[in-house]
Order: sequence, then C-alpha cells, then structure tokens
Amino acid sequence: MNFAESLKMATKTLSANKLRSGLTMLGIIIGNASVIAMVGIGEGAQKYVNGQLQDLGPNVLFVVPGNREARQLGDLDIPRTLVLADAKAIATQVPSVAAVAAEKSTQGIVNYRNRNTSTSITGTTQGFLNVRNFEVAQGRFLDDLDERSNRLVAVIGSTLAERLFDNESPLGKQVRIKGITFEIIGVLEKKGSSLGLDYDDSVMIPITTLTSRLVGRTSPYGIEVGFISISAVSQEAMETAEFQITNLLRLRHRITAGDDFYIQSQDTLLDIANTVTGALTLMLAAIASISLFVGGIGIMNIMLVSVRERTQEIGLRKAIGASPKDILSQFLIEAVILSALGGLIGTAFGAGGIFLIAAISPFEAGVSVSAVVVAVGVSGSIGLFFGVVPARQAAKLDPIVALRSA
Amino acid sequence: MSPLIQFRNIAKVYGTGNTEVRALWDVNMTIDSGEYCSIMGPSGSGKSTAMNMIGCLDQPTAGEYFFDGQNVAKLAEDELAHIRNRKIGFVFQQFHLLPHLTALENVEQPMMYAGVSSSQRQKRAIAALEQVGLGNRVNNRPNQLSGGQQQRVAIARAIVNNPLLILADEPTGALDTQTTQDVINIFSELNKSGITVVMVTHEPEVARLTNRIIWFRDGEVLNHHLAPEELASVTAMPV
Ligand SMILES: Nc1ncnc2c1ncn2[C@@H]1O[C@H](COP(=O)(O)OP(=O)(O)OP(=O)(O)O)[C@@H](O)[C@H]1O
Ligand SMILES: [Mg+2]
Repeated sequence: MNFAESLKMATKTLSANKLRSGLTMLGIIIGNASVIAMVGIGEGAQKYVNGQLQDLGPNVLFVVPGNREARQLGDLDIPRTLVLADAKAIATQVPSVAAVAAEKSTQGIVNYRNRNTSTSITGTTQGFLNVRNFEVAQGRFLDDLDERSNRLVAVIGSTLAERLFDNESPLGKQVRIKGITFEIIGVLEKKGSSLGLDYDDSVMIPITTLTSRLVGRTSPYGIEVGFISISAVSQEAMETAEFQITNLLRLRHRITAGDDFYIQSQDTLLDIANTVTGALTLMLAAIASISLFVGGIGIMNIMLVSVRERTQEIGLRKAIGASPKDILSQFLIEAVILSALGGLIGTAFGAGGIFLIAAISPFEAGVSVSAVVVAVGVSGSIGLFFGVVPARQAAKLDPIVALRSA
Repeated sequence: MSPLIQFRNIAKVYGTGNTEVRALWDVNMTIDSGEYCSIMGPSGSGKSTAMNMIGCLDQPTAGEYFFDGQNVAKLAEDELAHIRNRKIGFVFQQFHLLPHLTALENVEQPMMYAGVSSSQRQKRAIAALEQVGLGNRVNNRPNQLSGGQQQRVAIARAIVNNPLLILADEPTGALDTQTTQDVINIFSELNKSGITVVMVTHEPEVARLTNRIIWFRDGEVLNHHLAPEELASVTAMPV
C-alpha cells in the first residue's frame, strides 16, 4: 500500500472516532502550546533586554566598583575605593574618552507643597548629559560650579515633573528632597526606562551635594560613586579607552594584584544578559517539554487501547493480505497524524498565547519559525516514538487469535 | 486436475503435557483445483484449525503443507501475506466487515494491499458487489445491511482479487434458511466459474449441495471422499 493511501486510510479511521482522537491530541496540543509559548516568552525577554542594552549607546563603558570574579561569585562586600576623583582623573588624563559622568543614587521622598512622592535621587556630574545621551527640555543641567559648591539645585525628570507640578513650570520652584530644600534648575527630556533605571522618574542633584547633605561620606578615599559611565571618542577607541582607564585606575588605587573595579561595555553586558535569558529560555522549554512528553505517553496509551480494541480488524486485515509491515505502518501513521496535527494546533494556541502576553507586557511578540518547525517536528517524532510500541504489538498479533476474539 | 491443497501428515498441537490438545493429528488430504467441497464434523474436531492452515494463517506443528505447489512452511511472513491477498478469499461466520467503512470501501480493502489504483479499485469493487447482487447497496455501512447482505459484501471482498480459492468457515452459521440459500447459490456460481471453494458447515442441507464432504473427528480426517448422498450414513455415526 502506498503512503498516500495509508494516509487517507488513517485519516478515515481517526475521524471515525473524533472525540477520542481529539482527546488524544489534547496532550500534545497542550505540550506544544506550552513549548511555543515558553520559548516565545524566553525569546521575548531576550529581545527586551537586548533592546534596553542597545539604548545605552554603542560607545559607553561603565566602571563598576568591586572585583569582577568576586562579584560573580556573589561577594557583596564591595570596596569603597571608586571615587569622584577617579572620574575626574579619567576625564582629564585619558585621551580616548569623550565624556565622563559619575553617579550615585539613593531613594527618598521628594515633596513640593503638599505633594510628595518616593523616588530615586541621583547624584551626578555635568558629563551625564553627554554620556547618557539626554537632552534638557527646560532650564539647564547641573554644571561644574554646582558641583564644586555643593549647591542645592536639582534637575528633574519629565515623569516626576508631571507628578509633582502638573502643568506648572517646575523651573525655579523649591522642592524638598529628604527634607532639604532644593531649587529646580532644569527638566530633562523624556527618554523611557533602560535596564530598570528610569531617569524620567527621578531627580538629579550634584553628586557632591548628595554626599555632603543626603547620604554622608561613606568612603575614606573621597566621594564614593556607584559607577562611572564613560563615552569613548568612537567605537574603535573603546578598547584603547578600556585599557587606558584600567591602567590609570590601577595606578591611582595602587593595585598590584586583583583589581578593585571592573569595566563593562555594552557588549559584555549583552553577553551576560544573553547567557541569563538563554538559560531562562532553555529552562522554560525544558519544563514545557515535559508536558509534550506526557502528551506522547497519552498517545501511546490510547494507541495501545486502540490496538486491543481493534484486534478483530487487525486479524481481518491480515487475513485479506496485510503484511506485518502494512499493519505496523498503519498504526504508526495514525500515531504520527495525531501528534503532528496536535502539534500544529498546539503551535497555533501557543502563538496566540504569545501575542496575548505581548499585548499585556513590555515583551515583543515573537513566534520564531525555528521554534515552530522544531515543535511540530518534535511532536511528530514523539508520535513516531510512542507509536512504535503499540504498532509493533499490532503487527505481531496472531491473526487467528485476533479473528477469534469476537 | 492438479492438487491445490495437499496436507501430508499434518499435526497441530496446542500446549504440552497434561494440557496438550491435538487440534489436528496426522491429517492427509488433497483438494484439487476447481473442487467444491465441504468440511464437516463435531465441534472441536479441528475444522477451523484446518481451515486456518489451508488459508496460510497458521503453521502446522508437524507435517508438510503444499499450497498451489509451494511448501508453505518455507515461506516468509510477507510471502504468506501475499498469497492470502492474491490467491485466497476468506469468508467468516461473523462477516468481519469494518464497521466504519461502506460496503464499497470494505470490498476495496484487499485491493489496497495489492496496490491497485483507486479508480481500478472502485470499478472492480462495484463489479464484485454486483456479482453478489448488491449493486444497489454500495454506499451502505454494515450496520445498515441485513446479515445476508453483510455476508454477501464479505463474499464480494473475498473474490475481488480473483483468488484461486474461497475459504468459508461456517458462512451460513449466522443466517436464516432463505439467506443461507442465497449465499450458497453464490458459492455454486463462483465454483462454476472455476474458483475452488472449501466450506465448513454444520448443516447437512448445505453440505449436500457441494460435491465432496471431508469428515473430521478428534483432529483426524475420518473420511475425505464422502459423496453428498452418503451423508446420511455419516451423521448417523457416533460423534
Ligand atoms: N489457541 C488454541 N489453544 C489451545 N487449544 C486450541 C486453540 N485453538 C483451538 N484449540 C483447540 O483445538 C481443537 C480444535 O478447534 P477448532 O476450532 O479447530 O474446532 P472446530 O472443529 O472448528 O469447532 P467448531 O465446530 O466449534 O468451530 C479444540 O479442542 C480447541 O479447543
Ligand atoms: Mg470452527
């Protein structure tokens, strides 16, 4: 019997018992839908994180306190050796660097008249605008003088400005930050959040003011910073910049072995993020695969029942000339149709689920073609794999016993 | 006439020791091409066992079976399937039609294993159904047909690949007198067209219509050249 005929025959048999076929497929449908959805979510998360990182700009480097290896091993005891003077030194002594900003932030209440809100308070320097690619919408940004004189001035993010001031212009207004009065000198252009940092919803003050008035000195070496962000003069200069900064800081910190800082670029961050989200995707897919596997066992179960129920049919088919191979392929094809069709339907549901998730979350919808091909292929093979045992049982049936079982 | 079926010292034994059952024991018989014969005997005497063996569905425990000149014991599973498909047509007491298929589709089944094209299958299946008088019932499913009609569909299925031999195990066992007559008439017609017909029956009236009766008892052939008119003498025998 040729393949097309077998296919037609199997379809006929399966549609003769639609309810059972449907229920058998359900396991595979659910399994496949979850694989597609989970992989989709994983990849969506990956794209989301990548997008966020790309927002940082291609030329940006971060100098972060602590030893890379130690931090990767979970050491939370970060040395307090990275200070504002380091940032100044980088700005003045490293030629491949275009702009430098130091940042340190804290959380606190900001109030204006009777309104108050808890937000992040970032102490930074003049370089922030250039390095992080911000524009000032109104007024001006913090400058060197503000910094040197520990002035009580603040630049406010657009979201926070709306919350505190509605339609009023914030410029020149007095706000209280952690109980200390600051004057608003500027408003930032809206930019959106990046890597969980939402500058639109924060207020920026000179880093010197932050240290002297809000958090106090925390380091014996100077004004401690959370991290230093640097933009290199060009993408090609990144490596040079990284090398020069490393040397400079080692010199300044008198390091002979084991750095107390490390430098991250967008690329290294992307690598880390991809490792994490890749592992996440893999884990989700693995969990979902279990349900696919269970669906396969469901198919095997039903096919075994079906072989038992259809012993007479099998006996008859053998009597009229079906070879064991014919019987084997008949049952295998039925199992594969069930699983592959279930796989297709499950894929459709999974894709639907992804678009639903995309509609209610920041993740992009992404049904990858490869995931669909793999899922349908895998569920088809699952049918093949789990169909073998019942099909062989059918093929081996003794026709006489089978015919007698009336 | 050349021999179509030859049993040489055939034995079929089930189980061992205390539970040993000699379903067939030292059976020798020959059925020639073109014969029309019945197999009779008490229940449990080995008639069905012999039929299964003739039909290449079963292998003997001992002895040799030649079908159409071939030693069946030497054939592989696929070759046996091929013989059943092309040379033998089975008719069973319980019809064994596939319930989810129409009469036409049921009759098409053996041709599917023979690799006949779809259009040819349909043509030949309709012809076979017409031959058994069911040309107007091709699209009915088994549960829409009477017992006699179902058995005629089964006969159409048995003949559709132009076999040498029809094997019918109690084909009228589930039928009433009138439909029994119809079915036997079809067998007679088929035999006249040259097909060898071997039929197991419990009914002397049916056996009497065939040309030879083979009598089984306790797994042995007592008498394999019984003329129909001698039947009365055998039924009188202690069984
Ligand atoms: N698979 C088997 N295992 C054990 N014994 C069997 C098996 N098949 C048949 N037998 C035995 O072989 C003997 C012959 O059985 P068979 O079915 O050939 O009888 P029969 O003449 O067709 O009887 P009936 O007229 O009732 O159909 C019986 O005693 C039966 O119990
Ligand atoms: Mg019997």
